[in-house]
Parts: sequence; C-alpha cells; structure tokens
Amino acid sequence: MKTYKSIPSKVLSKPQLRLLGFAAALLATASIVTLLPTDAIANANQPTWRPAVSEKLVKLPNSYLKKALDRDFSDSPLAEAIRSADSEINLKMQTLADLQSATDQAEGDVLTELRHQFLAQKQEYLSLMKNRQDLKTRHHKTRIKIYQRLLKKMSREHSGQSSEKAKLVESQIASRARFEKSSEAIDMKMFASAIAPESRYSKEYSKNLSAANALLQAISAHPMNAKQETDGVPVSKPDYVRNLLASAESELSLISQEGEIVGYMAKLVALDAMALADQVAESDPDLAEPDKSVGISSAVGLFIQ
Amino acid sequence: MRKDLSFLMLAGFIGLTAMAAPASAGSVENLERERAIMLEVMLQSDLTASERYEKITVSKRRLIDLERIVLRDKSLTGRNSPAVKRAFSNYDLTFLAHASTEKNLLVTDHWLEQLGLTSQNVMAASRRRR
Repeated sequence: MKTYKSIPSKVLSKPQLRLLGFAAALLATASIVTLLPTDAIANANQPTWRPAVSEKLVKLPNSYLKKALDRDFSDSPLAEAIRSADSEINLKMQTLADLQSATDQAEGDVLTELRHQFLAQKQEYLSLMKNRQDLKTRHHKTRIKIYQRLLKKMSREHSGQSSEKAKLVESQIASRARFEKSSEAIDMKMFASAIAPESRYSKEYSKNLSAANALLQAISAHPMNAKQETDGVPVSKPDYVRNLLASAESELSLISQEGEIVGYMAKLVALDAMALADQVAESDPDLAEPDKSVGISSAVGLFIQ
Repeated sequence: MRKDLSFLMLAGFIGLTAMAAPASAGSVENLERERAIMLEVMLQSDLTASERYEKITVSKRRLIDLERIVLRDKSLTGRNSPAVKRAFSNYDLTFLAHASTEKNLLVTDHWLEQLGLTSQNVMAASRRRR
C-alpha cells in the first residue's frame, strides 16, 4: 500500500520549501514525543483481555491449561488488536521499502520531498511498533497475573490445613492402610463359609472396582491427561505453571528490549529529520545567512582627508 | 462445533466433580447407629447366649459393610467434624468388626479388651464399699 503522493517534477517554491523544513523539524521532535509513555491515556479505551481463574483451570490437566488460555486470548479484543497491528506494520514495511527504492532513483527537490515522506512513514512505523509493544506488554502482564493467581489458588488448596485437620487426614490414611492390609484376610475369614455369604454390597463393590480400575487406567493413559515433561521428567502442575510464568516474564523482557530498539530508531529518525531540516534551510535563499556586516575599519578611509 | 466440544468437556468434568461429592452423606452416623445396636445386644441381659451370638453375627455382617463404606468414603477425607474426628481417632473401637476379625477375637471380647475389661481383670475384681 503506497500512502505517499506522487511528487510533481517542477521545482518547489520557496514557501513550500520553508514548509518542508518546518515539517522536518516537527518530525524531529514528534518522533521522540510519540514514544513517551502514554499509559494513562491509552488505558482508557484500549482493547483488553480479562481471563478468569476458574476452578476448571486449576483442576484440568496441564496440557489443557495453556491451550484454554491461548484460546481465550485469541478470542479477546486484545488479540484482535495485536493481529491488526501486525498487519498494519507489515503494510507499513512495504510502504517503507517502496519509498526507499523511489528515494534511490530520485534527485533534487523530489528527492527532498521523498526523504521527507520516508521519514514521516518511518515515524508512523515506529508509532505502530510502539502500539504493538504496548498491546503485547498488556497481554504478557495479564498472563503473568493469571499464572500468579493460579499458583496462589493451587497453594491455597494444598496448604491451609490446620494441624488438627492434618492429624485427622493422617489418621484416616493410617486407618485405610490398615483396612487395605487386612481386608483380604477378613474376607477369607468372614465369607469363606457357606453360612455367611458375601453381602450384596461386597459383591457389587468388587465388580464396580474392576470397572473403575479399567476406566482409571484409560484416564491415566489418555494423551490429554499426560503429565507435562521437562527434559523427560514429568512436572507437577505448580511447576508447570511456574514454567509458564517464567516464559511470560522472558517475553516481557524481550518486549522491553525491543522497546529500546524502537527508541534508538526514533532517535535516528529525529537526527535524519534534523539533517533534512538543515538541508532545506540551506537551500532556501531567504533563510540564507545575511551578508557579513561591514567592519568599521573599512570606513576609516572615508574620514581621512 | 468448538462450543459443543467445550460443553462436552465441561460436562465431563462437572460429572467428575459430582462423582467426587459425598456419595453417602452420614456414612459415619449409619455406622455408629449399627454399632450402638450391636453394643446394646451385647449388653442385653435378657438374651440367651445363643440368641446373643446369632444377633451379633447378623449385626457383624452389616457392620462390615458399613465400616467399609466409611473407610472408602473419600468425602470424609479431612472433614473436620466431631463425628468424623471421633470415628478415626480409634480404629479398634470404631471399626469393631474389622479389628476383631483381624485379631481373631469375638466382637464382644475385642470391645471389652479395648475398654480394658479382660476376663482376668473381672475375675480379679472384688466387691468393696466405697
């Protein structure tokens, strides 16, 4: 998409040149001004992503957790804004490439005008990049928040046991272990004789137990239930969430590094614009340096008779 | 289709949660009731020895099932209610049928032993005025 207008081949007039110089100077300052933080203004009506830490996210398998979040994000206005920013940036890159090749072939005033256009497009590209970085930052910050909340929720579920409750759980585990250990022997003693046949509950329970075990085996073998692995070692859910948290943090740090690059680019655009403004000023005859004032010594001869 | 699949997934997991919910509310109470009936039979003085034995045998079979229901009830895990706490504080007294069979004792003997009343103790006891 070419957004610049074709430049007439005639020589630019003085006011036009002045205007161009002023525009270049304005560009030099604007390219820096647009990169200043504008969070307060931006947050007012910016696209957002508001995922909720539901019980489903805590309970579902690891592999589902990330996919569910990715899916939720991709349906959000924030993802839509990032996608549209990406496509705008791609188009702007194309425009810049076209302008660059046109600048290589142009000369004279057309070249000046094209350089001005090129700088203006560069500045627009930078503001688009900045906007995309802001959106991406918001995305990753939201992810970090949600992972932290998930971790908190998980730790709340696992801890928060009073000592009394822990004691009870311990005694329940011990009771069950004792029962499991002796249940078969008790069955043999109790139900071996024909006088005391096995109860309906006992028969049905063992039948259901084998069915439940088959189902449990199928559940544990299901790929969606597979534990996430790091270097072949299965990781627990909190560990997995901590991994996701770390990767979101690293994304955020990369975005901040990209922000620095955009800053350098903006500085370069500002310097280019200043150079262009100087060049335009130099070629303007009205703005040219006035004649050097005549020194007093040259008039001395007039006073000597 | 995606919505349908999400619904299925959700339904599956809701099903799972429902399954994890208490299967039988009051399993401990049922066990306690049955155990109390059995203890009453043990202490009933108007029964003959064979009647008592018969009644205890029938009650023991019911008790075994009820004890297993309590021991397998996952909803009781960590439920810090007085009844549950009391039930799991002493395996030998709560799960009378299992503990007595485990020790090859009659339920009555096992219960009395748990209370510290052995035949020797009873025989050694003497009547005194306080």
